[in-house]
Amino acid sequence: MSLSSSNTIASDASDFIRVDDFSFYYGAKQAIFNVDMAIPANQVTALIGPSGCGKSTLLRNLNRMNDLVEGVHHEGDIRIGGTSLYDPSVEVISLRKRVGMVFQKYNPFAKSIYENVIFSLRVAGRSKKSELDETVERSLRASALWDEVKDRLHDSAFGLSGGQQQRLCIARAIANQPEILLMDEPCAALDPVATLRIEELILKLKEQFTIVIVTHNMEQATRCSDRTAFLYMGKLVEYDRTMQIFENPSKPETEAYISGRFS
Amino acid sequence: MQTPHILRDFDQAISTLRAEVISMAAKSRHNLERAIRALLERNPELANAVIADDDEVDDLERRIDHLGMEILVRFHPVATDLRLVVSSMKISMNLERISDHATNIAKRAKKISANPELQDVTLIEPLYALADHLLLDAISAYSDRNATLGASLHARDKELDRMHHEANATFGKRIEQGAGRSEDYLHLILIVRSLERVGDLATNIGEDAVFLDAAKDLRHESNREL
Repeated sequence: MSLSSSNTIASDASDFIRVDDFSFYYGAKQAIFNVDMAIPANQVTALIGPSGCGKSTLLRNLNRMNDLVEGVHHEGDIRIGGTSLYDPSVEVISLRKRVGMVFQKYNPFAKSIYENVIFSLRVAGRSKKSELDETVERSLRASALWDEVKDRLHDSAFGLSGGQQQRLCIARAIANQPEILLMDEPCAALDPVATLRIEELILKLKEQFTIVIVTHNMEQATRCSDRTAFLYMGKLVEYDRTMQIFENPSKPETEAYISGRFS
Repeated sequence: MQTPHILRDFDQAISTLRAEVISMAAKSRHNLERAIRALLERNPELANAVIADDDEVDDLERRIDHLGMEILVRFHPVATDLRLVVSSMKISMNLERISDHATNIAKRAKKISANPELQDVTLIEPLYALADHLLLDAISAYSDRNATLGASLHARDKELDRMHHEANATFGKRIEQGAGRSEDYLHLILIVRSLERVGDLATNIGEDAVFLDAAKDLRHESNREL
């Protein structure tokens, strides 16, 4: 399988996130092999591939979540807006403010809807009520939850349905107004209707945020991503416009995977 | 040979779809061949058989559409599989129209055969030969996934257009000359028009085969390079 840097496609938007010859290791085990990718701003980029292919590892490197794992190291670089994530001047806390994250299993805190949204502001010691109120409304409107919860903001978040809880987690992730939103299989635990709501939301959110999403659902990638990257065994096999990937992929491995002919 | 799909039902459905299109193509081509033979051999029974057998082609068109829809709904095919479903459904529509042209030719053959023999009927033969050749190549381009062959049809169809104009002029002149067989010549004009349309439909099928094999849409393009 030839995996040259030709996988990097010329971008028609700015290369907001640049992954440069990036390799990543859990101890001695290499999980990512020399990935090159240019991810444009205000688009949705989907990472697809079989379990264990490295897509979640790559995603978690975009906000250095993997730093929390013991014994990891990397080679190459990832830059956001031209600045390396590994630049000594970059503080991980402020990096995570720029890069929000939503996980597969919705995980609201055992607090009210209101407190969930402003959790990070509370941690940062902000307490001005007007600012907090404004953040709650803005975030819940952006996550398409405001109309459903505006009359019960101080009720427990656990009283919401699964789909609503996930949209609450999205509201929490964007409360800090990050530039990038990472989503790791955000609909894996949701029913089809709740899934479509989140997908609709993703298409709306990309106007404000650059979104990178890991998904096992091919139809989801075709419905809501502009670009798709297929990873296999830690390598970037193909990265192109989503319609190109699903209509006429250039690599036989990609075609085999997306068509269900993968052995 | 492609790697089998994880769902065996899917492979089965895809190969059934392909087989039905090829079978429909064979029937449409056979209908056209018999319609022309009915004309040249003045055989109204053969013409009747063509008219009756058009129903089989209509049934196949419905069946292919149904199968295609079922595959889209059940399996959400992508890439080559998706292009196969889309091109098969479009090709079946073109084949149905080809069989309709065969039926029209058969009906006119019956009318012409009811009158005394007309020598000029043989002028149809070279047009039919070329139309059939284009149709055969269009079907092969689909079944062999041969984009080059499929893309070649557009240029070759121009020759059929030229022959169509020539035949039209000849038959038109006969009518003007008042040879007394105006109605039969009018039938012949409409028969060559049907053959010219078969060439166009074969070109469409060729373009669908290009889409299947090379994922390129050549329709209405002046630059027809693959």
